[in-house]
Amino acid sequence: MSTTTSRVAETLGEVATDGALRAERGLSGLVGEEIKIHVPQIRVGTNVDACDAVGGPDVIVFGAYLGITGDITGHVMLLFPQQRALECVDLMCGQPAGTSTEPDEFASSAIGELANIVGSAFVNALADRAGLILHPSPPTVVNDMAIALVESVYAAILAQGGEVVMIDTVFSDEKGTTAGLLIVAPDADAFAKIAELAA
Amino acid sequence: MTTASTTARRTSVGIGQIAVSKDTSEVLVAYGLGSCVGVSAYDPVAHICGLAHILLPESNNSASATREPAWYAAAGITNLLRELTALGAIPGRLVVKLAGGAAVLGEANASKFRIGERNAEVIIELLRQRNIRPCATSLGGSKGRTVELHVVSGKTFVRTAASPATEL
Repeated sequence: MSTTTSRVAETLGEVATDGALRAERGLSGLVGEEIKIHVPQIRVGTNVDACDAVGGPDVIVFGAYLGITGDITGHVMLLFPQQRALECVDLMCGQPAGTSTEPDEFASSAIGELANIVGSAFVNALADRAGLILHPSPPTVVNDMAIALVESVYAAILAQGGEVVMIDTVFSDEKGTTAGLLIVAPDADAFAKIAELAA
Repeated sequence: MTTASTTARRTSVGIGQIAVSKDTSEVLVAYGLGSCVGVSAYDPVAHICGLAHILLPESNNSASATREPAWYAAAGITNLLRELTALGAIPGRLVVKLAGGAAVLGEANASKFRIGERNAEVIIELLRQRNIRPCATSLGGSKGRTVELHVVSGKTFVRTAASPATEL
């Protein structure tokens, strides 16, 4: 990893920790229970093990994609294993665990809201840290194989000559924990700006 | 027969990777192609198979063009044919099939990048320049696909999150 890349990863790590705190407040307020989010690992590059955090490349996941526009552009993708995503839907809607069993439109909508809170928290943390004006797009929620979603984000960013930063995230509530994966892909210009910030 | 035999050895062909084989116990697999395209090629005389997992239609950065053998379409097709030929395949005999090139991030995002669609267009043109015409394709749409190439039969199977494997 180059010095620039490692500095960018370090900065995004700090941003992710701040974003996680903001998302914790937002989610806990929404569901009326304490939800903890922590960020155990930051990785840079198109790692082949990208999907390990959500159960493997072939596993069906809920993915929520947000584009970032404004002073810099980028991409944010949040992935959840399907079963755990459905548990999150029940938690968010105040339903008994196990109520949601199908990846239907209602579940997609709830996951979109979850991604909106987590993704926007991260984007806002980045905007504040960097003194930039950034706008997250409304999330697009898809239910598909994990690697199909990951590689499509890779392709979108690598086509612009950028770098991929993956932030493993763990969501905990009183019933247990779930792994999520936040992929942040700043475009080449955005990467350079974040590198300046880190210098 | 729609799935691999349980005794087969499954070789994962990751993003930007190529695998070739004449080992009949092997199944070459490209998991979850989204906007990527899987190029499966089979020489039915020499019983040699190859699978490339192509990420992008073209490189806008020469330094990154060498990152992986099939990161970009042009290098991917060239390297796939070279590896197949090195193993004894004849390009004119190849049965080539394509799968992938989907817009899994939704139509609005796909129209911005058009990566899946352009991947398919560029790969078909690169093959045409080599007088190779794909005999079957499963391209476009909005669903990720897993592609399997069974060396024992030369058959290619495609499955999605919602549908079981079917022969292409």
